Amino acid sequence: MEVTFKDVSLSYDGTREILHHLNFTIPEGTLVSILGPSGCGKSTTLMLISGLLAPTKGQIFFGDQDVTKQDALARKVGMVFQNYALYPHLTVLENIMFPLKMAKVKKEERREKALKLAKLVHVDDQLDKKPGALSGGQQQRVAIARALAKEPSLLLLDEPLSNLDARLRIEMRQEIRRIQQETGVTTIFVTHDQDEALHISDHIMVLNLGDIQQFSSAETLYDNPSNLFVAKFIGEPVINTLPITAFGHDLDGAVPAAILAKTQTVGIRPEALQDHPIDTGTLAQITTQVKAFEKYGREKNALVDYNGNELLSTEIQGRLENHQDLTLYLQKSGFYLFDEAGQRIFGGEQDVE
Amino acid sequence: MKVKVAMVLRYVILVLGAIIMLMPFLWMVSTSLKTQPETVKIPPIWIPKQLQWANYVEAFKAAPFARYFLNSVLVTTITTAGQLFTSILAAFAFSRLNFYGKNIIFVIFLGTMMVPGEMLIIPNFVTLSKFHMIDTYWALIVPWLASFFTVFTLKQNFQSVPDQLYYAAKIDGASDWHFLWHVLVPISKSTITAVTVLQVIGSWNAFMWPLIVTNTENLRTLPVGLQAFTTDAGTNYALLMAASTFVILPMVILYIFLQKYIIAGISKTGLKG
Repeated sequence: MEVTFKDVSLSYDGTREILHHLNFTIPEGTLVSILGPSGCGKSTTLMLISGLLAPTKGQIFFGDQDVTKQDALARKVGMVFQNYALYPHLTVLENIMFPLKMAKVKKEERREKALKLAKLVHVDDQLDKKPGALSGGQQQRVAIARALAKEPSLLLLDEPLSNLDARLRIEMRQEIRRIQQETGVTTIFVTHDQDEALHISDHIMVLNLGDIQQFSSAETLYDNPSNLFVAKFIGEPVINTLPITAFGHDLDGAVPAAILAKTQTVGIRPEALQDHPIDTGTLAQITTQVKAFEKYGREKNALVDYNGNELLSTEIQGRLENHQDLTLYLQKSGFYLFDEAGQRIFGGEQDVE
Repeated sequence: MKVKVAMVLRYVILVLGAIIMLMPFLWMVSTSLKTQPETVKIPPIWIPKQLQWANYVEAFKAAPFARYFLNSVLVTTITTAGQLFTSILAAFAFSRLNFYGKNIIFVIFLGTMMVPGEMLIIPNFVTLSKFHMIDTYWALIVPWLASFFTVFTLKQNFQSVPDQLYYAAKIDGASDWHFLWHVLVPISKSTITAVTVLQVIGSWNAFMWPLIVTNTENLRTLPVGLQAFTTDAGTNYALLMAASTFVILPMVILYIFLQKYIIAGISKTGLKG
C-alpha cells in the first residue's frame, strides 16, 4: 500500500508542534526507514501511520483512500514494537493467531495461517511456549509473525532491533529484509541507527526536530546530503566539518567566488582527504600537521591539525610521524559547502532533488 | 552454628505465631465436641472426656441451616460476581481511558475508603427502605455490587501493564472491550483471584448487615443463623461452636487452596518486565 502524508502536523498540547508539515509518499512494496536522533519525531510519525495517534493538521492517504479519520482498528496495519509487546499469557501460536481471532477468522483457518507464518519467521518449533520462555530474537520473530497475520497492507516496525545484542541485530535485520521481500509488504522501519537503515532499506527518510531533512536512497544520502544535518548524521566515521574561514585562500579558484561568499561551513568526508594527488578528482590541496597516526589492520588513519581545526583522514598510504607536515588533497566527491541555513550549495550532484 | 540457632529461633517465633492464630479455631473445634457443662468448666479443658459428635447433628437440626447455606451461597456468588464485573470495568476506565473529571472522581472515590463501614449502615438502610428493598434478597446484594477497594487494587494492577501491549492489541484489531477481557483480565489473574477470595470471605462472613436488613427466617444467611443458639436463657456454646465449625469450613478450604494467589496478588505491585 502506498502511504502519502499531505501537510501533516502534530501537536500534543496545541501550542508546541512535534511534527511540522510533513509531506512524503512511500511507494508500494518498498522498505523505507525513518531515521533520526531520539526525539526527532520518528516514532510519532509511525504512530500517525498506524492510526494510534491522529494528526492535528493535514491528511494521510493509504493508496487513494483518505484514512486520516480512521483509528488503528480500521486501518488494518501490522506493527512490531520495540519491546515486542507479545501477550504474556498466550503461547506463541496463540499470539500469532490473536489478530485472526479478533478478525473472527474460523479456527482451523486461523491455525493454518499461523503455522505458515511461524514457518516463515522460523519459530515453528516453539509454538507451545509462552513468550517469557523465548529469547529476544525469537520474541522478535513471533512479533513479526503476529504483525503479518492479518495480511496487513503495511508493516510498521518501531525500533525492532534495539533490544537485541549486536550479532543478533545483524541477523534479524537480514531476516526482516528477507521476510519483506518474500511477502512484498510495504514496510516502514523506524530506527536511530544509520547502519541499520543503510543496510535494510530501499529509501531512507531522515527526520530531525519534526522536519524531513532528506528522503532518498541510502547512496544519495551519503553522496548528496541535502544539508549539514544529513551530512553529519550519515556516515561513519563522521564527516569533518569546519568553518569556511579556516581555509583562508586555499579554496580560491577551486570553488566559484560567489558560492564561497555564501558558505558558512565546509564538510569533508574522511575518505576525501588523500595524502597523494589524484589526477581526476582533486579539488585543492591543504597543508596540515599530523597530530596522531594510527594503523590497524589494513586501515591507516591520521588525525591532523589544519589551521586550528581537527580533521580525520582514512586514506593515508605512507607512514607518518607525529608533528610532521602533511599535504592533503581534497577530493571533489565527499567535499561539500553549506550556507548559513545549513543547505548544501556546493559538492555532490548539483541537480539532485 | 550461628546460622542454625537463628534458624531455630525463626521457626520458634513462626510456630508461636501460628499457635496464637490457630488458638480460637482449636478452641472452637474443641468446644464443639464438649458436653454443655464442660463448656463452662473452670479451669477450662482442651480435650473433652468423650467427644460429642452428636452436637453436630443436633446443631444442624436446631435451625434450617440448609436454607441458610443456600442463602449464603446465593448472596456470596452474586455479590462477588457483580462486584468483580463493575470493578473490572471501573478499574479499566480509571487506568486506560481519558475522560473529563477522571482524577476528581477518583479522588472522591478514594475518600469513601476512609469512611468506616459502620457509618454506612444507617444511610444504606434508609436508602434501601425507600426502595422497599428491606427484608428481600435485594437488600443483601445491591449495596455490595460495587467496592472501591477492589476497583483501586485492580486499577493499580492494570496500570502496571505496559502501554505498548494496549497499542499492540489495538493494532491487532481488538476493541477496548476485547483488550480488557482477552488480555488485561487474563494477565491480571492473580490479583483478580486475590480480590475475589477476599470478597467471598467477606461476604460469607458478613453478619451485621444481613442481621439488620432481614427479619424473615427464609432470608437469613449462615452467620446470622448462628444466633439460634443464643436465647434469653443463655447460649448453648457447644452447639454454637459445632455450627460455627461447619459455617466456616468452606472458607477454610477455599483459603487453603488459593492462598498462593491471595498472597501473590496482594503483595505484587506490577508485572515482570
